[in-house]
Amino acid sequence: MRTDVSRLDLVGRRRAVLSYTLGMGLYALAIVALYPTFEHTTGLNKFTKDAPTVAALFGATGSLISPSGWLNVNLYANLFPLLVLLATIGYGAACLAGQDEEGTLAMVVALPIRRHRVAVEKVVTMCIQASLIVAVVTAVIALGHFFDIAVSALDLCGASLGVLLLGIDFGLVAMAVGAATGSRGNAIGVASAIAAASYLVSSLAPVVAWIRPARFASLFYWSVGNEQLTVGLSVSELAVLVVTGVALAGVTIAAFERLDLH
Amino acid sequence: MTTEAVGTTAAIETVGLTKMFGAVRGIEQLDVRVEPGEIFGFLGPNGAGKTTTIRTLLDLYRPTAGTSRVLGLETHTDSVTIHRRVGYLPGDLALFDRLTARDHINWFARARGRDDTRMAEELSERFSLPLDTRAKDLSTGNRQKVGIVLAFMHEPELLILDEPTSGLDPLVKHEFEQLLRETTTAGRTVFLSSHELDEVQRVADRVGIIKEGRLVFTDTVAGLRQRAPQTIEVVFKVPVDPHRFQIDGVRVVSSQGSHVVLEITGAIAPALRIIADLDPVELVSRHAELDELFLDFYRNNTVTTTSDAD
Repeated sequence: MRTDVSRLDLVGRRRAVLSYTLGMGLYALAIVALYPTFEHTTGLNKFTKDAPTVAALFGATGSLISPSGWLNVNLYANLFPLLVLLATIGYGAACLAGQDEEGTLAMVVALPIRRHRVAVEKVVTMCIQASLIVAVVTAVIALGHFFDIAVSALDLCGASLGVLLLGIDFGLVAMAVGAATGSRGNAIGVASAIAAASYLVSSLAPVVAWIRPARFASLFYWSVGNEQLTVGLSVSELAVLVVTGVALAGVTIAAFERLDLH
Repeated sequence: MTTEAVGTTAAIETVGLTKMFGAVRGIEQLDVRVEPGEIFGFLGPNGAGKTTTIRTLLDLYRPTAGTSRVLGLETHTDSVTIHRRVGYLPGDLALFDRLTARDHINWFARARGRDDTRMAEELSERFSLPLDTRAKDLSTGNRQKVGIVLAFMHEPELLILDEPTSGLDPLVKHEFEQLLRETTTAGRTVFLSSHELDEVQRVADRVGIIKEGRLVFTDTVAGLRQRAPQTIEVVFKVPVDPHRFQIDGVRVVSSQGSHVVLEITGAIAPALRIIADLDPVELVSRHAELDELFLDFYRNNTVTTTSDAD
């Protein structure tokens, strides 16, 4: 199978992706390495007990000093998915709309390559980049075994898979909006706004009763907001994330077929 | 399935081609036919619709109405085949900043399914293109050279070039014009969009003038020259009455005593008979410059479609 478009983007972004991955890996290592320092600091749990709504805004619910609670509040409930989203939404907005605004995309599409293949290769490229980031961070977190962090490997991988699919889904939102409008700004704006709303709904759902029913509309709930680090990623959660991604990829390809390219 | 035609298939043919951007006009009811083996100069002021036409021909824009065929193939359904056989140089060329010219050549060759970059190397040498400099560090002229090499490197049957010489110095422009001539000598076709009248009249076999999205004129360059009105300056022995020249096809541009300037469209004989009767002592005749004719088309608000058939 020809992968010229994918390779072009991967080569062009390799330094940025590697630096980003390294940075995230180091951050995860710091979080993991700090756990022994805080694992007996029971006072931390007062935060979620005394101000549960404020704590929930930061993705903190339940115990903060249990291994899964520590990873959840410092990585899985907020920074890990948000940083993966930054990468995927950034690429999703840049790879079609952004490159069209720069003028390079028309050069590619004017080659004997079908448009839908260009779009599919862009989706694959985003998946590769997100997978690299998530795989490295997950591998670093797995080192937590040496720092008293005892989390089931299966649950850890399930939660990381949730983060990966969440990132891909929001990257696809950006890609679809970019393909429909040809505007990188619109793509980033719409995808970020939906992601922010989705995060808020999922974070506040455990502590705000009237928001609770809306959690099913939040991709954060299906990926990291339902104790996936403790119980793993369920088949239904996996299905929601995958089906959403496939649907968004379909929308992206259909919109890109109609986009006027400059 | 492709729908390749046989025989005297036009290199480019559009019928009623229209592209609207919402309520904004791109091109309207455009009928263009470019014959194989010719250089067709596509002229028009900024915003006339030249780039829109080109992007529609390459299936980068989807037309609002009308049909277009390139090398006998339908531009949308057969776009991949067309792209394989066409070389395209965009007007606002954008390159991948981190890649060198050599990287661009290798990547474009691979994407076209060709390993042979011999032609690209020849062209790079011919245009003195620095191959190992990143695109972001190349001068405007050198970036344009990269675009030229990418458009010509697979020796396409049809070249669609949008303002190809912008940013090039006169020496490179000259070399490029030579390349165009070699291209058509080899039986290939060039569709050249430009607003540089001098360049087009030097290289084009035929020209089309587009204005406000509509094709207002097509003809050969020689035909255009013949259409251009003649200006005749005459000095008579004694002052003459300019009203003597009030006949069809003759306009008195200026008259100062014995010095008269006339503009003649069509047959020259009736005017010459009058001049001969008035005892001229000096006569200079010249065709209007093509620039003047083009500018006349650009400025004229009335769309008057004509063609080389008339």
